[in-house]
Amino acid sequence: MTYKPDEVVLSIRDLSVSYGAQRGRVRAVQNVSFDLHAGETLALIGESGCGKSTLNLALIRQLPKTASIDGGSVLYTYRDGRQVDVLKYTKQEMRRYLWAECSMVFQGALNSLNPVIRISEMVYETGEAHGIPRLEARDRAMRLFEQVRLDAKRVFTSYPHELSGGMRQRVLLALSLILRPQIVIMDEPTTAVDILTQRSILDVLKVLRAELNFSVIFISHDLAVAAEIADTVATMYAGEIVERGPVNDVFYRSRHAYTLSLLNAAPRLSAGAETLDSIPGSPPDLIVPPPGCKFHPRCAYVQDVCRTVPPPLVAYDDGKRLAACHATEQVQQDAQATRILSPDAILPIVKGGVS
Amino acid sequence: MIGFATIATPIGLLIGLVCGLVPLAAGVYYKQIPVGVIGVIACVISGFACGFLGGVPMILLTYGVVLSYAYVNRQDPFTSRAALIDVTFEESRVEQFQRSMANLGNSIRGAWRALTRNKAGFLGFLGLTFFLVVMVFGPLFIKYDGQAHMERRVPGAFAMVAAPSAEFPLGLDWKGRDVLSHMVHGGQTLIITSIQAGIFATVIAVVLGSLAGLVGGVADQIISTIANFILTIPAFPLLIVLAALVDLDSGFLLAVLFGVLNWPTLMRAVRAQVLSLRERDYVQAAVALDLGLWHIIAREVFPNMVSYIAVNLIFTIRIAMYSVVGLVFLGLVPLKEPDWAIMIFTGRQQGVLFLPQAAGMLLSPIVAIALFQLSLVLFARSLEEIFNPRLRAGV
Amino acid sequence: MSDTPPIVELRGIRRSFVKDRQLIPVLQDINLAVQADEILCIVGESGCGKTTTGKIIAGLLDPSSGEVIVNGRPTESYQGREKALLRRQLQIVHQDPFASLNPAHTIGDILSFPLKRHRMTEGGAGLKRRIWELLTMVDLTPPGDMVNKYPHQLSGGQRQRVSIARALTVNPKLIVADEAVSMVDVSIRITLLKMLLRLRAELGLTIVFITHDLALAKYFAWEGRIAVMYLGRIVEIGRTQEVIANPSHPYTRALLAAVPEADPELTRHKQAIRLRSDDIPRLTDIPRGCAFHPRCPYFIPGMCDSDLPELASAPGFDQQVACIPVQRGLPLHVHESQVAAEAHP
Repeated sequence: MTYKPDEVVLSIRDLSVSYGAQRGRVRAVQNVSFDLHAGETLALIGESGCGKSTLNLALIRQLPKTASIDGGSVLYTYRDGRQVDVLKYTKQEMRRYLWAECSMVFQGALNSLNPVIRISEMVYETGEAHGIPRLEARDRAMRLFEQVRLDAKRVFTSYPHELSGGMRQRVLLALSLILRPQIVIMDEPTTAVDILTQRSILDVLKVLRAELNFSVIFISHDLAVAAEIADTVATMYAGEIVERGPVNDVFYRSRHAYTLSLLNAAPRLSAGAETLDSIPGSPPDLIVPPPGCKFHPRCAYVQDVCRTVPPPLVAYDDGKRLAACHATEQVQQDAQATRILSPDAILPIVKGGVS
Repeated sequence: MIGFATIATPIGLLIGLVCGLVPLAAGVYYKQIPVGVIGVIACVISGFACGFLGGVPMILLTYGVVLSYAYVNRQDPFTSRAALIDVTFEESRVEQFQRSMANLGNSIRGAWRALTRNKAGFLGFLGLTFFLVVMVFGPLFIKYDGQAHMERRVPGAFAMVAAPSAEFPLGLDWKGRDVLSHMVHGGQTLIITSIQAGIFATVIAVVLGSLAGLVGGVADQIISTIANFILTIPAFPLLIVLAALVDLDSGFLLAVLFGVLNWPTLMRAVRAQVLSLRERDYVQAAVALDLGLWHIIAREVFPNMVSYIAVNLIFTIRIAMYSVVGLVFLGLVPLKEPDWAIMIFTGRQQGVLFLPQAAGMLLSPIVAIALFQLSLVLFARSLEEIFNPRLRAGV
Repeated sequence: MSDTPPIVELRGIRRSFVKDRQLIPVLQDINLAVQADEILCIVGESGCGKTTTGKIIAGLLDPSSGEVIVNGRPTESYQGREKALLRRQLQIVHQDPFASLNPAHTIGDILSFPLKRHRMTEGGAGLKRRIWELLTMVDLTPPGDMVNKYPHQLSGGQRQRVSIARALTVNPKLIVADEAVSMVDVSIRITLLKMLLRLRAELGLTIVFITHDLALAKYFAWEGRIAVMYLGRIVEIGRTQEVIANPSHPYTRALLAAVPEADPELTRHKQAIRLRSDDIPRLTDIPRGCAFHPRCPYFIPGMCDSDLPELASAPGFDQQVACIPVQRGLPLHVHESQVAAEAHP
């Protein structure tokens, strides 16, 4: 583990969000609870419709008007020990909270940067809004740009369109850290990005993480990236967290059928010949979800109890792992049998590329 | 003459009733009595208003709506829920016709749902319907008061104009005539001319714009050059000159002129739309499948432009109406009475603009025109939704 | 290797686009032969020209110069009716499920247009039977429900299936799938790919799969070939199993080493290959000699920046590669100015 397991920075309890639609209320997020520790990178994995974007918006209080928070709390712990429920913050307080305590990096850097403002302007404005003098803001920005492997001087004075997509994403990453927040929320930051650019972003993220010690909530559908940078992985399905645990446990000893199905559907480059299994069906209707376990119509481990009783979230391994699955033991057994590759099944590219 | 310049006639009522028998019969046969009754009413009204021209098309529409509630072809696996084993893929001509009618009915119901969904749009629709009803059915009840009535002059007044009273709800005009009758009879020319003008401009713009966008090359350059040229012509001075040379008293002529002078702006917009639609993936797929140029124009590109064109048509009608009123007000176009625009014009010309009693004569046409314009604007908001395929399927 | 001619062969293909009054060369000198019944993957990053290549293969784009040979004859030699038939043999499935179907038509319409136009069915009953067949083939069941639906009522995965069914209406010999599963949920991707593999086996199709996802390419084309493109050229092409296990071109190696794996131990022990520069050259300013040399960690001055590498075989490798040092069998050393390949922190 690379984080401090005793210091909790963000504590989310029973968060529920719903939207209004013609047919009824869409329960986008239901009773989501998890803790984020200092220096921890938590990967939230899910596909479209699982509620991760809604959760993201709820955490930064940017939900659209049609959405409402139906309950729960988001407790943030300041560096001085104060604890506040972010959901109760006023607009004014949110403005001070966002970016200084919790910042964001979103997908599609082009849309996040105002094309008519120079990067330097952005830096100064951000600094000014949070009481940082210009010189200090500039220094911080330059240092961060260097750390993300950019030509700091050149980038500082340019407009966003003068930079390539990969460079813009790295600028965003640097800017998100300029006020030294404790949490950075990253929503699909590497999805629309090329392989080599993604590689440099991930490398840079690791360097920054090591030096500045911030926590990351990493929202994505990409299991591979999660495997690379996450300390903890949580999978979401139909608005709920169905499994959560340390990354190695979730990947090699999965306890939820959906997690295992996702893993079995993800091709691994170094794994040579693979048989992959698809997940039949499609995501459930969030207005009238299936009874019992929401995943049961698509589940390979489905039993009678799954159709009627929603599985409770149970803690394992002294509370380090959580899973909500009736077939959890069977799933774990299968995971252990199939997920770990034997050394001879691994192609040589893993061992480095120099011939 | 392109238009529906008809007045309701008693024989139309008879025609409407006869036409109404068809949806009624269908309603009874398919056990959709309420829909059938609505169909009868619709046929009666349209027959009354437009005779055969109104009644006969309404038969098809109402038949379609009735069918859309009830249609299931047991032989067709795509409209029945039976298992594949029990159905064939055969469909007789009759069944095919009925299925098309049912689809038509579905579209109508979808359009209605879209219309009622948008409150502002529905309000606009009601406004337009109101004007239509007055235009078509008004003359049945209110006779046109065309002669000057000297005897109506109020003793002591130095003008014939009179304020609204119990006998004449909108007052009297400068010749002592009943303003209400002029209002009821005076909308036709103006409204129909505006609609004609809008249609001309839109049709020319759509044809040329599509051609320029799809074919491109030399055709595009020629059309664009002509459009740019026309755009530089100052419209009002041209019309003033024309008015001096030609007798501009026909609404139709005005409509043509307007169409010829105003298509460039819309053409540019249509061309831009076509250019963007041309690059869509599904158009490329149609090319790969070798579906032919005509198919691509008519069935891939055009259906996605219909809502855009419809909304633009509404706005062009609005502009046309203001243009005509403006021209009449300036005295350039001697339209025949009765006409709303003429009422405003004579108001200025006869010097009654400054008399408080003239309120009825002056405000009535102005308010009517403004309300009509407002209805158009509101209705346009619904149009986009109506043509949206997402609403056809009733999601 | 069979003696039948390749289905589609590209010879010396160049393609440029005009943008903002500038001529941008997107493809330079592509030579590619697609064999009948094979699965060929074209991979590369954005801007490498793989989509343009795919569209030229599908006949939707004409090359600026060079020859496109289909079934042994250049495409120019096809006239009239033959040309129309040729057009139908090559089909494409697009990336964006939201844009690939006309929102104004029902699924039934979309499938019936080509069937009716080319008179591929007999009468109304025949048409419907064929539509039923096609929808069942792509697992859109029950077909009766699908036919009257509009595209917006279907999910992304279902729309892609309709796209595939539409491509199949004209009984093509080759389908180009241009990032066909990129905009679809992860769990649906494998479903669609398996379906494509099944259809290929049943109908004897050739599939050209364009993607930027190497792991997916490996899975889909495991029994087939893979071509790696960079800045408008093919830098490596060969059997997937060879290329993945034994990559020859430095760019391919960098790509393979850079891809994260859905396996924590695997991915954290993977050694990345640091490139000399993160800047991707613009297409209007392609470096002299090997286009990759400014970034290549094994760059040999004098050799890599003067001569243009052509695709050729190299000792120790089954696949063809466009890298001069590799072709000459030279041992690859990391260039002195380059820091040694870093392990992940």
